[in-house]
Amino acid sequence: MFDDKTLAKSKELAGIREAAYDKMLERFGNRAPAGARHPETQSGLPLKSCYFPHDIEHIDFEQLGAPGSYPFTRGNLAAQYQLMSWANQPVIGFGLPEHTRARMDLLAERGMIGYFGQRFYNLVYDLVSHEGLDPDHKAARGRIGQCGMAVYSKSDMARLFDGMDLTKMNVVHISYYQVIPALAQYIAYAEDQGVAPADLRGNSMNWYHQSAYTGMSSFNPDQGLKLAVSLIRYCAEHMPRWNTTNFFGYGVEEAGGNAIHENGLMLAFGIDLMRGCTAAGLTADQVLPRFGFQIAQANDFFEEVCKIRALRRIWATTMKEQFGATDDRAMHVRIHTHTSGACLTAQQPLVNLIRTTLHAFGAALSGTQSMEVSAYDEALAIPTEDSATLALRVQQVIQEETNVTAVSDPLAGSYYVEALTDQMATSALELVEQIEAQGGYVAAQQSGWIRRQVENSASRWRDMIDDGQKRIVGMNCHIVEEDEQSEPTFKVDEEVERIAIERIVELREKRDAKRYEKAIAAFADSTQALAKTNLADFNGHGLMETAIEAARADATTGEMMGVMKTAFGWAAPHEY
Amino acid sequence: MTDRIRVLLAKPTQDCHDRGVRYVARKMRDAGLEVIFTNFLLASEIVDTAIEEDVQVVGISSSSGGHMPVFEDLIAGLKANGLEDVLLIGGGVIPKEDQESLKKWGVKAIFGPGATAEAAIEMIETHFGGSPGSTA
Repeated sequence: MFDDKTLAKSKELAGIREAAYDKMLERFGNRAPAGARHPETQSGLPLKSCYFPHDIEHIDFEQLGAPGSYPFTRGNLAAQYQLMSWANQPVIGFGLPEHTRARMDLLAERGMIGYFGQRFYNLVYDLVSHEGLDPDHKAARGRIGQCGMAVYSKSDMARLFDGMDLTKMNVVHISYYQVIPALAQYIAYAEDQGVAPADLRGNSMNWYHQSAYTGMSSFNPDQGLKLAVSLIRYCAEHMPRWNTTNFFGYGVEEAGGNAIHENGLMLAFGIDLMRGCTAAGLTADQVLPRFGFQIAQANDFFEEVCKIRALRRIWATTMKEQFGATDDRAMHVRIHTHTSGACLTAQQPLVNLIRTTLHAFGAALSGTQSMEVSAYDEALAIPTEDSATLALRVQQVIQEETNVTAVSDPLAGSYYVEALTDQMATSALELVEQIEAQGGYVAAQQSGWIRRQVENSASRWRDMIDDGQKRIVGMNCHIVEEDEQSEPTFKVDEEVERIAIERIVELREKRDAKRYEKAIAAFADSTQALAKTNLADFNGHGLMETAIEAARADATTGEMMGVMKTAFGWAAPHEY
Repeated sequence: MTDRIRVLLAKPTQDCHDRGVRYVARKMRDAGLEVIFTNFLLASEIVDTAIEEDVQVVGISSSSGGHMPVFEDLIAGLKANGLEDVLLIGGGVIPKEDQESLKKWGVKAIFGPGATAEAAIEMIETHFGGSPGSTA
């Protein structure tokens, strides 16, 4: 990118500067922090203490391109936020569906807004639903409406969305392994409202891959891949506006992985999933435009920005070269940023507002498409109305007041940012190579290799805090004596459990038993057929269709998941 | 070998936040404790494992709520099987008022956000009156 004269001058000036820096280091002697001598990123990548043009002389200008052109390092589209800002997409979900709805309405009233004036509702299901149970199961006690909404049926969907125009909003269903039952219930509810699946907009998580690094029970990973492809296939045929799959990079960093793990694992899984889709007869241009990412934005400011720029590049080049993507949209990395939860502290919780603001600011500079900013009290409880509003205000202040929205990819051209983006890309590709050598993501998941990488990284992080190498305000430095939990924390209404159980019992009593029996048996047959087949002979086996019919017949999440657990195997992740 | 303290660390399977407890398990192993880590759906599974593995310590990690029914069932289950002497500890995100109730129920210590693994190891060591690797 530079001519020889510039490069020569760059090296000369860098030499002079380095000599001066070394002298200063010498004067500091032992008092110099370790990072002054050997700076590195949170992931452990070596940094220089200052960057020059020759540090990026190996980077071809073509690799950077322009916002909106391949390989999309600088952004998916020519316009970043000039015409439309990123979408506010805070996570919402607790208590009964009515409680969740009240919070949706509150945030909408306080200015939460998505694209083209429409709202994006990012709704999380409760712990009972994630586990594939109904609220009257013994293990549900204490978890109903906790960490998410108590939504288990088509009737609960009606309570949640009552009176809303489903064609004018975007609904993200943060469902884990119950993704198929949850989508089926939403589709069945939409049909009752006269809305066809083709007119629905939103996301399913399709998160089977997360069992490689998170702690909950799950389906056997082999089966998970087939289930993911089933949903993708159904949507490719019937729901062209539905985003089928979310790459849960955020969970990698939350579980203790670093930025390189996040990128590398997501690309490795993308390769495995695309192999699965291809085997099932789907093409890259058909399915990739409806894939999205949930990416963490954590404490190492520049590394996290460069992570996203690098991810856009390696995803686009891999999907083009390896899977023949030709449509730009099939090469784009569409990102929902989730500011880091793991970086927040229970100590001095208001300080978290400062952390989340920095995270959100970094995400804005990296060109994210939508954002959830963690509330300052999330290390303690479900956010209160006030803390959830403040989290939305963090986004709004950056959007409305800072003018960072004026320019696309504003950090481009920084010697440091370009050098680190390249380092991040190379390191993630090395990780992908290691995983491919083991037979791909699912194989590395089954052997426990992925979990070990993430766990070792989590351990390194905590050791660095405990020995003071990594400083966290309020936790290992700048500590104050404080009353534990001096901030008011949120509590789910105590009546939620009783009401949720009453509702599910009533639903089972009132539904058409014959229709239900027939529908759940047909669903069970299709799960058995899918479980026994391999992707090469895959034809969908009517899995989604029979799930939707079961939802129409008022099957509950617990009932549908019971059938699926029998067919696909269900165990704690470390037992696979 | 038989005199090493045996610890069962357990996490509800509904609760994905297992980063902390896995770290604690690793540190306890490094300190010479025998550690069994498992996920559970029902408290009765913890009781069964505690009996099978003949543990002296049971630690429950909870970061998503729902811990009170777990401890309630667990304590009743241990009692019903004559395991009242098992040292019971907890960790994760457990509100202060719940911590007070849990202590009344016999939970000896709760290690919340910011607590070190070393603190838990030291507590166990003190309880058994020896070095962390020994019940002697």
